[in-house]
Amino acid sequence: MTQPLKSATRRLTRLDDQFDSIKAREEAGDARSKGGSRAFNKFLNNRLAVIGLTIFLVIILASIFAPLLTPYNPNKIDLRGMLQPPSWEHWFGTDRTGRDLFSRVLYGGRISILVGLGSAVLAAVVGVLIGVYSGYVGGWLDALAMRVSEIFMSFPQIILVLLLVSILGQSLLNLILIFTLTGWGGIFRMARARMLSLREEEYVLALRSFGLSRPLIAYKHMLPNALGPIVVNITLSTAAFILQEAGLSFLGLGVPLSIPTWGNILNVAQDLRVLQNNWWIWLPVGTVISLFVLSVNFIGDGLRDATDPSQQG
Amino acid sequence: MLTYVIRRVLILIPMAFIICFLVYLGMELTPGDAVSYMINPDALGSMDPDQLEALRQSLGLGQPFYVRFWSWFTSLLQGNFGYSLNGGVPISDIVASRLPATLELAAVALVFSTIVGCVLGVASALKRGSKTDSVLTIIGMLGVSIPEFFFGLVAILVFGLNLGWFPVGGRSMPDYVTFWDRLPHLVMPSMVLSIMLTAGVMRYARSSMLDALSRDFIKTARSKGIPEWRVNVLHGFRVALTPVVVLIGFRLPVLIGGSVIIEQVFQWPGIGNEFISAVRSQDYPVVMIIALMSVMAVLLASLIVDILTAVIDPRVRLGD
Repeated sequence: MTQPLKSATRRLTRLDDQFDSIKAREEAGDARSKGGSRAFNKFLNNRLAVIGLTIFLVIILASIFAPLLTPYNPNKIDLRGMLQPPSWEHWFGTDRTGRDLFSRVLYGGRISILVGLGSAVLAAVVGVLIGVYSGYVGGWLDALAMRVSEIFMSFPQIILVLLLVSILGQSLLNLILIFTLTGWGGIFRMARARMLSLREEEYVLALRSFGLSRPLIAYKHMLPNALGPIVVNITLSTAAFILQEAGLSFLGLGVPLSIPTWGNILNVAQDLRVLQNNWWIWLPVGTVISLFVLSVNFIGDGLRDATDPSQQG
Repeated sequence: MLTYVIRRVLILIPMAFIICFLVYLGMELTPGDAVSYMINPDALGSMDPDQLEALRQSLGLGQPFYVRFWSWFTSLLQGNFGYSLNGGVPISDIVASRLPATLELAAVALVFSTIVGCVLGVASALKRGSKTDSVLTIIGMLGVSIPEFFFGLVAILVFGLNLGWFPVGGRSMPDYVTFWDRLPHLVMPSMVLSIMLTAGVMRYARSSMLDALSRDFIKTARSKGIPEWRVNVLHGFRVALTPVVVLIGFRLPVLIGGSVIIEQVFQWPGIGNEFISAVRSQDYPVVMIIALMSVMAVLLASLIVDILTAVIDPRVRLGD
């Protein structure tokens, strides 16, 4: 190690050693992260977030590639093979009409995840588009959007969802629309608040003095700086929507029963005989829902820690 | 202070009105009208169209939308909630018979989750970074990730069917006299309903407590030589838990939403249960009134929260 010149005049402390070693590492090019952004590396260092991501990917991939993993049609009724417990043939057993539960869980995952993720993304798009405009430009549109979101948010979410289900009727598309309608308010307010604080930044002033148009400043230059919390919000609302879909379908008021979803599979467990005697119908799918939501929540928390600039480390 | 309260109430009134209007508008969009609900479908076909029209006129259905809305709204203010399509029972009677059960369930869940959530949250804040802390954090995460009806199913199976400790559902039997007779019925639904709330309170109490412990007055208290438990309890606690307890009002939507599903799982004869069966049987007047009631409850709770916050923290009412 090369000694700094100063060392001749004063005693070396432990701190000097530390700085020297950091300097040496930097010169050797080790101190810089091995590619990828800082947030990404921070996320990968969070054990729970990585576990969450793994579970998330396993469940999503299994749902997408369902036809490769199971030979059974999830809606094929086999009255000779009703209520069979799990076996090598039927990994999760069969339900009351002899449908293979493993394939129903896989195919059901497609719909449940589509509803959860789709509604969360749609709600985010709507909320961000309005929120960014609202926060940056303000004016009467801002005031209107605030009032409307207040109205939506003063309903307990499940009551509003059920109210809309009874007005619009039950279908897959309606459910996604209803979730979008009930979920955009939260993300709208967050995007708006973020824009309000970003508006005071100097780079925005600079852009304005260059004469850039307002939409360009708002959506191209300011929005990327607000993306962290937005992505976190999308993950957390995905988890919430999947729970809601499961709850609604469990009650028989969500996705129509002819389409397999995680909630619809659980629907029959309202029958106490099924609950007591046929655990394989409801226990595996309940566990899958819980694991999936848990993994999404872990990812959300990990993303929050990784993207929040106030806690770098 | 009074002007603050008045201003908050004044904001609330137009909002409540608009919500009533929107809900009425929504129900207007549903197929069918009051006449088609009153007469059974078989008889409807054989009836004279002129007679039907006369009936519609006599009920005021021929009048424009805003007239009907206004007469509905004014009768609502006078306490006439309308009638259920199922047997024509006054909706106020239905609400009066169902509400106590829901309030009972909600009160137990609210008290339990607040106490347990605060204790666990504070414990995990005091032992920050320890094993207890991370175990509690993971448990809290599980609490918000597992669907509450799934908790309910497992509880029914284990404690109701297999162990037989508690009845699997319902609230009351004909021979029950006192509250204590009903208590076994209350245990499972209220505990399951508490789980999600407790997890939320715990996370909030933890961060609130951590925040309080990092303040200067805690250092002052410690430097004066006050015993550690006194610092935590008398100085930390008090500052940290005030917002947690005040924010009970914000947990109301979660509570209402949770009780809708939990009441169904345990066949608890409350408002939520009634709401679900009304949605199922497309009993629109009942759906509408219960939805409006829940909104009013939320609006009222948020008003109370605002006022309480203003009472506790003078900066809120003097700030703007």
